[in-house]
Parts: sequence; structure tokens; C-alpha cells
Amino acid sequence: MSGKTGGLRTPLTRVRFLGTAQKGTGEARLIHVTGLANILLGLYFVWLILDVLHKDYNGVRATLGNPINAILLLAFILSGIVHMEIGMRSVIVDYVDGRMRALALMANTCFCALLAVACVYATLRVSFT
Amino acid sequence: MASSEVAPGRPRPRPLSPHLQIYRFTVTMVMSILHRITGVGLYVGVLLLAWFLIAASTDAAAFGWFTAFIQSFIGRLVLFGFTWALFNHMLGGIRHFIWDAGYGLEAPTRDQLAWIGAIGGLALTFITFAIGYAVR
Repeated sequence: MSGKTGGLRTPLTRVRFLGTAQKGTGEARLIHVTGLANILLGLYFVWLILDVLHKDYNGVRATLGNPINAILLLAFILSGIVHMEIGMRSVIVDYVDGRMRALALMANTCFCALLAVACVYATLRVSFT
Repeated sequence: MASSEVAPGRPRPRPLSPHLQIYRFTVTMVMSILHRITGVGLYVGVLLLAWFLIAASTDAAAFGWFTAFIQSFIGRLVLFGFTWALFNHMLGGIRHFIWDAGYGLEAPTRDQLAWIGAIGGLALTFITFAIGYAVR
């Protein structure tokens, strides 16, 4: 609990999504920063996919294993997944209520975390094996 | 009013503000809806990227399964949809950056920006696929 929302509010109101969570500014900033990064990294990503499009297995691995490609791909994965986690959260908050909202928010966070771990692990594995 | 039909003792349903059904469609509105839909589409589409990376990190057989899917008609269709969603959402993001900065909010300009997003997203998708098919 942040000090600002102390006063008469109980932690239960936050759990029930009543009133402000006091997290909006940081989240709005993060989705804008990652969005800006995703424009540049997304264009790079399209270029990367066009580059590997007609390559065979070893060719694809060699391209993805190039340090510059691996670093930029990791940056795109992390920036992209943070962006989509916040984006999906705002969609859930708009359309899902009550207990389903809590479940949907947890599912969103878990899905994004797992996806990030999987993509980062696989990218690093291509580089290091 | 529908609220008068509610059985006594139960809380009256809260009034809802009018939603999509009462508004005339405008290009900025459609592009706003598409921005959200393409965002959700990309969210699901990242599974394809995960599959690609995991397959590439596993072995040639696993990668073969991925390439077999992505080269199929369905695979190409999915990839086309993903590419369009990416460009449509990207141009939508740029449009929102312009608006957030306080520019382009006048009546003709905001519609032009939305049309640029709609046509530009499709154009960039076709250009990307043209390059993909042309370069070997």
C-alpha cells in the first residue's frame, strides 16, 4: 500500500478494484515508452524475418545467433511483452468485472511472464548452443 | 423502462452509458476499434514468435514442423494477418503519439491521419509480402 492512499481506505477496496489504484501514471508512461521502442524494434523485426525467410535451419540459427540480432530481438521481446501485458490489462479492466476480472488479470500476467521467459530462453539457447 | 421490471428487493441495474450501437461510424472510431483488435491479435500472435524461437532452439525436426505450418496456406494467411496487425497497430501508435503531442486534432487532419493509418497499414503489409516473395 502506498502512503498516499492510506487514510480511510482499507486494503480490501483495492482488492475489489474500488477507487484508484494510484498506478496509472507509471503504467501510462511505460506503455508509451515501450510503444515508441516497439516502432523501431518492430521495423527491425520485420527486416529480420524477411532476412531469415528463405534460409534453412542452420542459416536461421546463424542469423539469430548473431549478437546484434540476438540483442535487438531480446529487446523487442521484452519491450513488446511489457507493452502487451499493460494493453491487455486495460482491455480486461474495460470489459471484465468482479471475480472474473481478478482471474483474467492474473492469467494475463502469468501468460505474458511465461511467454517472455520462453522467448528469452529460446533466443539465448540459439546463441549459446 | 427495463429497470421497472426488476423484482422487488433486488438492486436495480445501474444505468449504462450509450455504447457503439448509437454512434454513427467515423474513420477515427473504426481505427480506434481496430487498434484495440489488432493489439489483441498481436497478443495472441506472439505465440507464433515463441513457437519459431523454441523450434529454432530445439532441433531441425522441430524447426521442420514450424516451417511446414508457416509455409502452408493457413500459415501464410496467419502471417499476413499478423503483419497487417503489426503495421496497423504501429501506425495507430504513431497517430496517438501525434495526437498526444497536441497536433492533428482538427476535423480534417484527424480523419486524414486515420486514413493514413488504414491505407498505410495495408500498403506496408503488401510491400512486406512483395519483398518476401521477390527476394530469395
